[in-house]
Amino acid sequence: MPELLTKNFGNVSFEPESELLFTAGLPGFEDRTRFVALAFAETSPLVYLQSLEDPALCFLTLPILAADPAYRLSICAEDLAELGLAVSRQPVIGEDVLCLAVLSLRESGPTANLLAPVVVNLKTRRAVQSLSLESGYSLQFALMPQEVPVCS
Amino acid sequence: MLVMSRRLGETILIGDDIEIVIAHIGRSRVKVGIRAPRELTIMAREVKLVREENQAAAGATHPEAISGLVARLRPIGSVPAGAVPAAQGNRG
Repeated sequence: MPELLTKNFGNVSFEPESELLFTAGLPGFEDRTRFVALAFAETSPLVYLQSLEDPALCFLTLPILAADPAYRLSICAEDLAELGLAVSRQPVIGEDVLCLAVLSLRESGPTANLLAPVVVNLKTRRAVQSLSLESGYSLQFALMPQEVPVCS
Repeated sequence: MLVMSRRLGETILIGDDIEIVIAHIGRSRVKVGIRAPRELTIMAREVKLVREENQAAAGATHPEAISGLVARLRPIGSVPAGAVPAAQGNRG
């Protein structure tokens, strides 16, 4: 099994067929096209999106239904075609596609990018970060809103 | 901000070499055609925001912050069926 050097876990072995291909890269990282999604029992449910081309590039993500159980995809026809999926209907998360929200760790708390989820065709492993302009979802969805202070 | 009313097919000029055409008017959105020098970067504002968000996110995988996050995420419950990750890492 091939190994890759990761940002946080040193060398990790992975199955070659688990490689994801972002033909257009991700916005801001257009020249990085090959990633693997890594999950570890001790950091479940987080998924690391690790670049195969740059060990220092790793995104922290969460399966989108773990961030928002009611999340509904609205992938544009162009991205569906890029993924090699039928443009006539939205794919089903878990059946047709893997869908991950990219997380940012902010001082105010972690946020998830629900506006532009990473979508992977489970059959072909082609992937895009799909910006759904009309979805109305937040770019910085608060994963854990600050607890309301309890008055004593 | 300068606000102009234009009809379908009409054009706005910006400077000498940027031309914006109203290409289609739908119920809640318009399609805009843009003719501009190749060296100009043109993108929807949201693309720039996603790019900035990705750049911020790429720097945010400090192990301490992550273990804190995992501890707080776990009580949310199990990951729904079908949300399984694409690969299982094996630490080598």
